[in-house]
Amino acid sequence: MKHAVWSLLLLSSPLAAAPERPEIAVEEYELDNGMKWLLFPRRDAPTISAGWLARVGSVNERPGITGISHFFEHMMFKGTQTIGTRDIAVDLRLLEEQERLREQMRAESAAMRERLRRGEIDDLLNPEGQSPRYKKLERQFDALVQQQRETIVKDELDQIYTRNGGEFLNASTSEDWTVYFIRLPSNRLELWCWLESDRLLDPVFREFYSERDVVFEERRLRTESTPLGKFDEELNALFWSAHPYKWPVVGWASDIPMYSLAQAKEYFATYYAPNNLTGALVGDFESAAIKPLLERYFGRIPRGTHAVPEVVTQEPEQLGEKRYNARAETSPTVRVYWKAVPFVHKDAAALDLVSDLLSGRTGRLYKGLVLERKLANEASAFTDLKKYAGSLGVEVTVKDGQDPAVAERALLEEIERLKNEPIPPDELQKVKNQAKANAYRRLGQPVFIMFQLLVYEGLGDWRHINRASARTDAVTPQDIQRVAAHYLRPENRTVAVFLRQEEAPAADPESDPQGSVEE
Amino acid sequence: MSRQAAALLVFVLPLLAVGEEIPKRPELLRFEPIVFNPPDARALRVALKGGGVAFIKEDHTLPLVNISVQVRAGSWLEPEGKQGLAGLVGGQLRRGGTESLSAEAFDERLDFLAAQVSAGIGETSAHASLNCLRDNLEQSLTLFVEMLRRPRFQADRLALAQEQALQAMKKRNDESADIEAREWGVLLYGEEHFSNRFSTEASLLSITRDDLVAFHRRYFNPANMILAVSGAVGRDEIVRKLEAAFAGWPSPGPPVPRVPGEIRPQAPGLYRIHKDVNQGRVSIGLPSVMRTSPDIYALEVMNEILGGSGFSSRITKTVRSNEGLAYSAGSGIGFGVYYPGRFRAGFQSKSRSVAYATQLVLEEIRGIRDSLVSDEELDTIKRSLIETFPSNFASAGQVVSTFAADEYTRRAASYWTSYRDRIGAVTKQDVLRVAREHLVPERMILLVVGDQKQIELGDSRHPATLESLAPGGRVVALPLRDPLTMKR
Repeated sequence: MKHAVWSLLLLSSPLAAAPERPEIAVEEYELDNGMKWLLFPRRDAPTISAGWLARVGSVNERPGITGISHFFEHMMFKGTQTIGTRDIAVDLRLLEEQERLREQMRAESAAMRERLRRGEIDDLLNPEGQSPRYKKLERQFDALVQQQRETIVKDELDQIYTRNGGEFLNASTSEDWTVYFIRLPSNRLELWCWLESDRLLDPVFREFYSERDVVFEERRLRTESTPLGKFDEELNALFWSAHPYKWPVVGWASDIPMYSLAQAKEYFATYYAPNNLTGALVGDFESAAIKPLLERYFGRIPRGTHAVPEVVTQEPEQLGEKRYNARAETSPTVRVYWKAVPFVHKDAAALDLVSDLLSGRTGRLYKGLVLERKLANEASAFTDLKKYAGSLGVEVTVKDGQDPAVAERALLEEIERLKNEPIPPDELQKVKNQAKANAYRRLGQPVFIMFQLLVYEGLGDWRHINRASARTDAVTPQDIQRVAAHYLRPENRTVAVFLRQEEAPAADPESDPQGSVEE
Repeated sequence: MSRQAAALLVFVLPLLAVGEEIPKRPELLRFEPIVFNPPDARALRVALKGGGVAFIKEDHTLPLVNISVQVRAGSWLEPEGKQGLAGLVGGQLRRGGTESLSAEAFDERLDFLAAQVSAGIGETSAHASLNCLRDNLEQSLTLFVEMLRRPRFQADRLALAQEQALQAMKKRNDESADIEAREWGVLLYGEEHFSNRFSTEASLLSITRDDLVAFHRRYFNPANMILAVSGAVGRDEIVRKLEAAFAGWPSPGPPVPRVPGEIRPQAPGLYRIHKDVNQGRVSIGLPSVMRTSPDIYALEVMNEILGGSGFSSRITKTVRSNEGLAYSAGSGIGFGVYYPGRFRAGFQSKSRSVAYATQLVLEEIRGIRDSLVSDEELDTIKRSLIETFPSNFASAGQVVSTFAADEYTRRAASYWTSYRDRIGAVTKQDVLRVAREHLVPERMILLVVGDQKQIELGDSRHPATLESLAPGGRVVALPLRDPLTMKR
């Protein structure tokens, strides 16, 4: 740590030249146990943005444990042998006793699922449908949880970071990756090494079952209580036929309440070994000075004992268009998705430009459907290129009174035009200019750089942060036509049409429509 | 356990030698202090010839230039019956073309330059911003200033915007979160407060191009503008460019009317709105204080301990972490510039556990009024606020936008220079005093949006009813508003 005394004025150097290309000099560095590091010193402020990635996400799951990657992310905040408890021996004993009760509760759940199949109850989550024995076990379990609270130090990881000036402590899970991150004062890097290596070395999954409930509330918040959440989930499951991308990252409602501690432990042993992890540091540090710290703290974590299983399932070639019609609380909307390519694929840059050509206020969809033909009020396009497979999608909000089928035809005509007519050079240059400027913009904030390095790494190659710009520049008008013709085929698409749900039946007869006041 | 150790940490020496042992607990680590002084606003401030003030900070990390403009205008200035006008002016400034360029041509130029331009008008301020490559600053800035100075407000684009706004209006009751946010504002500030005078189908369709032109002409001039400039451009160069671009802009008219300061909160009580979702949304709170109140530092610390600092705060620990009743549970407090800010504790929970979780939050509110917070809680929060202070100035862009916002709201520079001392001086007794004075449960408003029948059923493991928790015993069932007339 050379900057013992850090001062904003000392370090600003107004004459330094800005980079000629949107690239950053990231150093890649690997520990003996296989943990990879991406280091990028940048002294905007006396802070370090620090994070690490586990190359695991919902794509690594199977039916029955869907969502466990995300749930696991939550469990990594529950402490270790040292953090989060006043008495680890008592803590572990109570955890074991809790697990024994949970085994019995799982057996009881199996019996309740049998009753569900027979139609004797209609909802496993409804407290009225739970068996007396299940409720009795649950009360015993609650008592153990109360007991454990006497030794737990609540959310200690968060408290230590908070009092040390940590900000944005959080984690995020996708289909392909799980990322843990924070921003800290630059003098606290060793604290980060201590706490992060500790939770990679010796995590204790306490408060497992209440956290399962938290995750279920997260599912209700984002998926079940929003106008389109459940529909998006169903549509996604329709889009993918075989690929594990078909289940939601948060997990199916039936699976979340059934995770077991044993499953979590197995998951950790498989996917959180250092050889499946990458760390990233961006901010006020010197690489040479911090490598000994990384060695000392993260180097002590043993390499995994068995190989990380490959994802082998490939999405089969789609043979016919799929359609999804729904009524929801939303404006009438038409969406079309096509199967595209993985993030690292050679056609990815051209497909990104195809979506850029379609999108935005000077894009073809807005000009064609909103401004010229006046069929829609909004229009956009996007790519979602994941590690193993991807999609390109378009969406238009149909004007009230216009026929969604007409808007769909107009949308598809714009797609045909991409295939049949060469792109004018200026139009292609426009989206290339934007891609390049955006590549610079992505390098604005250290915390975003850290996050992008990890996400790109999770998608297959962190070097994308430096290579994207040149790849985009190399795309030709012929490439645009070729990828449009190859991927945006009718039999390769899924079409979704949303109509506004009819008004709910008029007000509840028990409630007074004028509002009632009871004093 | 670690309290004594933690208290010793602050100003000790570093250790980074290779081969060091790993200490048994993180409290044993020692950290070199960081000395940080906030930048001086005066050194960055330039009064532009012809009106307007700019804060400028050169920064060559990237070949980009960022210019943001705040204009003294907002929806408080909308004439009665023209609700929605401010939003349309902001939107059409960006989307409606300029005197010399049609909307289509203007958009094409900007997109080809890869310049990002935005404009919008909110409740108490108007904003516009430009982010462009250094290499085409000249062209981009010319387009940006022409937009601010000579907007075309093209008729067909205005008609489209009205159609879009009308369709968006129909979505007003689709999201339970939108309903909650909207009605919370009405409950705390009153139906008559300008922020609650909603646009309607009638008000929207009554707005003409002439209304846009008049609003723009009245408020958009350099004397009403505060700029924040950061990025790859020298101070003298950008001052020269801005002064040239602003030259001859017609001088301002009469002073802009003040933002009204009066609020009329609804009576305390439980307000219930039915929405068919499986998770209820709950807000509990009341208006807070003005930014000028001497209590703001103690209130900030109190709120962080109660619910504002994630897992380090009481409501989050109780409702989320202990009981698993919510994904997001906590509290927030804001201090007003023109009228009092708001305190709000809130969470979302499955219908059956809404009443129990509400009870837990109210207990936490009572708890922070009943007894002193612990030394450890106070210490954790004070350190956090002090240690994260440099983040307010983490980039050149943040520095200038902070100072521009201060200039707009007339906040003294001493706020920043004294902030850490003021937080450091907050005591447990201060926290107790402000909690007792400001978080009065009997004065609170409790809003619950969700499936009221399911919520009534409650949770057999933790019997509690919402009615029994109603402040002042008052319960009001509010029907949803018609989204196009906003009448109930």
